[in-house]
Amino acid sequence: MAIQTKMATGTSSSSASTLADMTSGGGMAAPAARTHDGPLAIEARNMNIYYGNFHAVRDINLQVEPRKITALIGPSGCGKSTVLRAFNRMNDLVASARVEGEVLFNGRNIYAPEVDAVEVRRRIGMVFQKPNPFPKSIYDNVAWGAKVNGFKGDMDGLVEQALRNAALWDEVKDKLKQSGYSLSGGQQQRLCIARAIAIKPEIILMDEPCSALDPIATLAIEDLMKELVEKYTIMIVTHNMQQAARVSDYTAFFMVDPKRTGHLVEYGPTRQLFTNPKEKRTEDYITGRFG
Amino acid sequence: MGINTGVAPKKPSGYDMPEGDEQSAQVGRRNRRARIWMGVFQLALVVAIVALIALLYSIVNDSFGYAAVENAVDPAQIMAGVQADRMLAAANTTTSEDDEVIAAAVAADPNAIGFFGYAYYNEHADELNLLRVDGVAADAATVESGAYPLARPLFLYAGQKAVVNKPEVAAFLDYYLRHADDVIADVGYFPASAEALAAAHDLLLQTAKAGIPAAIGDGAIAIAGSSTVHPLTLQIANDFRDIEGYTGTLTVDSTGTTAGYARLCDTQDVDIAGSSRAMTRQELAACDDLRVKPIELRVGTDAVAVVVSKQNTFLTDVTTAELEQIFSGAERWSDVNRAWPDAPIVRAIPGADSGTLDFMAGAIVSGTPAQLSAAEMVPLIKSAVSSGVFRRFEAEMPFAERSQADIYALLQERVIQPSVVASWSMTASLLRRAEIEKEVFTSFPDAELVWYRWLSKDFLTSPQSSVPEQAGVRTAILGSLWVVLITVLIAVPIGIGTAVYLEEYAGHNSFNRIIQTNIDNLAGVPSIIYGILGLAIFVRALEGITSGSALGVSDPTTANGRTVLSAGLTLALLVLPVVIINAQEAIRAVPKSLREAGYGLGATKWQVTWTHVLANALPGIFTGTILAMSRALGETAPLIVIGASTFITQDPTGPYSKFTVLPMQIYQWTSRPQAEFKHIAAAASLVLLALLLLLNGSAIYLRNRFSKTL
Ligand SMILES: Nc1ncnc2c1ncn2[C@@H]1O[C@H](COP(=O)(O)OP(=O)(O)OP(=O)(O)O)[C@@H](O)[C@H]1O
Ligand SMILES: [Mg+2]
Repeated sequence: MAIQTKMATGTSSSSASTLADMTSGGGMAAPAARTHDGPLAIEARNMNIYYGNFHAVRDINLQVEPRKITALIGPSGCGKSTVLRAFNRMNDLVASARVEGEVLFNGRNIYAPEVDAVEVRRRIGMVFQKPNPFPKSIYDNVAWGAKVNGFKGDMDGLVEQALRNAALWDEVKDKLKQSGYSLSGGQQQRLCIARAIAIKPEIILMDEPCSALDPIATLAIEDLMKELVEKYTIMIVTHNMQQAARVSDYTAFFMVDPKRTGHLVEYGPTRQLFTNPKEKRTEDYITGRFG
Repeated sequence: MGINTGVAPKKPSGYDMPEGDEQSAQVGRRNRRARIWMGVFQLALVVAIVALIALLYSIVNDSFGYAAVENAVDPAQIMAGVQADRMLAAANTTTSEDDEVIAAAVAADPNAIGFFGYAYYNEHADELNLLRVDGVAADAATVESGAYPLARPLFLYAGQKAVVNKPEVAAFLDYYLRHADDVIADVGYFPASAEALAAAHDLLLQTAKAGIPAAIGDGAIAIAGSSTVHPLTLQIANDFRDIEGYTGTLTVDSTGTTAGYARLCDTQDVDIAGSSRAMTRQELAACDDLRVKPIELRVGTDAVAVVVSKQNTFLTDVTTAELEQIFSGAERWSDVNRAWPDAPIVRAIPGADSGTLDFMAGAIVSGTPAQLSAAEMVPLIKSAVSSGVFRRFEAEMPFAERSQADIYALLQERVIQPSVVASWSMTASLLRRAEIEKEVFTSFPDAELVWYRWLSKDFLTSPQSSVPEQAGVRTAILGSLWVVLITVLIAVPIGIGTAVYLEEYAGHNSFNRIIQTNIDNLAGVPSIIYGILGLAIFVRALEGITSGSALGVSDPTTANGRTVLSAGLTLALLVLPVVIINAQEAIRAVPKSLREAGYGLGATKWQVTWTHVLANALPGIFTGTILAMSRALGETAPLIVIGASTFITQDPTGPYSKFTVLPMQIYQWTSRPQAEFKHIAAAASLVLLALLLLLNGSAIYLRNRFSKTL
């Protein structure tokens, strides 16, 4: 299969083979039973999300490995973004949205009443589908997040480091005072990534970060993710099967049921999911026979 | 024809779109419909533009145009008076009421120059040379045609009562008018035209109700006045005795024209005053007030002769401009004209009471009162106002410290007192110029037709006045600015705060929905309702605060709540919905992605709201502020209700001052009956428009600057 032959190699070599079957009773996708007991980056337990009366996603159990790239794939409307946004309480911004269940992060449920969403988002950053730099200078774009979070140190150094980490420094170092809007789409997206890593998060959530970009910019972002993953845990939503295969270590596949409620179908190491899916639906989807 | 000119492709079943010619026709129909709509929109645009132009036209039309301006005192007369003073004060000058003295003084000195009535020149032609003035020599032809610049009419003024009650006076005047022409050439003057004499005679017949007695034996006639008319009158008086057989007393004094008027009107000890210049309107009015009611009888024409000694070798011709210099005190002949010798100028002129001096001064003086020096203007003001008023001026600011322009303004206001007696709109002025000129000439003979700019610098800087020509909008402009300032300072922060709360914080419950609906509807409440509200709350209930008395800072001019602050608060309520709704729209227009970006970085709601939402909504908020400002600037009704002053000359100095605003002033002026108020109302409307443009322009400038830095 074309997709499988194009699959990136080596990205999941370290731990992929240790993940076991995740299917639980009732045909629902279940968390991967882990064989090693290192700490998880973040974990969703029995997560159900509603928009008003609409049950958007149900019974999500997802264990995210630290310093790995986890891809969320599935057909449009199956709730990938909804799930992703649940990991840093972005759904709080949607008045009708309601999250049930637990999301454990550093041993704490981020939805516990005593936890402030602001604190969560400082630890779990987000990069959006459409590049959305602030209408400010490149410098301020990167510095602002750090500033509001009380960063006191060497701001110039922080900005430079974040831009370097986002592989943007060389392109913008001479025009830091220019508007973030003056950059190309791909550069803007890398600026948003720089902005996200400037607040030193532990996890970066990316919702289709390359959907507005051309193939070259997409590759640049993918290379960047591979670099970033050495320090950060990355979760990425993508419609691009090759991208998921190329960059991710783990892949979670979502589907909707007849009531259009999204659920996790299969979750496992990317190589396994793409070469040897447990579920027929997964295979149909990744081979393009479906969805 | 469309592009599908070939064979129309076969339609697949169920495919129901027009093809081929059918498609072309369908596209044509759509284009036609689009064109019709475009036409409708263009028509709407044209209507809007026409309405705007009509509005502007109606304002501008009334702001400029001809006006007939009458001065209480003729500026030319002021200049003549000043010039006469200059002539009298000039060094090396002999003055005398006796023309013989002048003739002798000039004849004796080769460097001397002098002037007097032409009659005397004839008597002394052997020792004096007559100068051509502006190239014209005085003779019967040039004097009558007016080519000689120093010619003037001679008059007799007779008190009406004397003419009616004293037959000998009527008889003498009758004789005078019938025989002046016979002797005038002998005396040395030029006859008046036959028409002028006939008109004078008719006037005399009309005035003397009892008729003119055919012959008169006894009586008492007293005459004083112009030394110029004197020889003529003397000659005729002699004839009246000798030929007509008059046996009563007949005294003829040579006192000078002005003194003659005084004796005719003030002391009333003469029946007739000889005069070498027409009475001014003021003199006439003063005489009428004293019930003398003089009638004016033209008896001849005099030319002033400018003479030098026969020994003079260099002077045969002189211009009026040179005469002005010569008699204003130039020291040496060469100072005036380099062709003339470097010799001192010696002057001999008629004295202060002489009509000849006044006439000469008026004939040679150039310039306008605006060019007078402060030292020359102050005595004019002093003699025109009461000593109390003069002392008040001096106390406000000593004249010595006042600028020339300042003193000139006082001269205008207190002495010249120009007043508009009739005015025309711009179009009328441009299209019916000739008609207007004729109308002014017949209806307002003393008025001058000038192109009047009702909107002038003075209009902007003067306070309100009950005299339309002196009224200005300074107080109203300042009042408007103060009120708008307070309105904006209150309405904008509250409006933004409300909008932020409603958009970012308020939940979607029915309570907030009711609030929102209310705000939307408040924008449509008639403004007068706000006025009633403002009156009840700010002027009455909160009087302590709005008058400033609760804070002990109330303005001494006002002890009640009808202040700038009350007006600002009322208008703030009025414009609040506009600010809120615009700010809400602007906030709503900030893309969700920006907010998400902010929250995604761990910012708090306030940080996101402040840095991103508000900063990006700023242009829209400015738009709302501009609309609010325009609304506040143009509001009248609520301010009438809360009691803005209708007549106030004192500038507002703070929130606790009494005030008026521009639209209020306009409203007030439009309701005045005098036509001139219509013009200043239009001018004030232009000012209001300009102010609006200025304020909005600066707000737009700020908005652009802010959005650029984003
Ligand atoms: N703000 C919202 N209010 C109500 N329903 C929502 C909202 N956002 C998403 N939904 C619904 O929730 C479901 C999941 O949406 P979501 O955006 O998570 O899908 P997705 O998997 O990200 O799709 P795509 O791949 O097209 O981005 C959809 O049925 C969508 O209509
Ligand atoms: Mg999505």
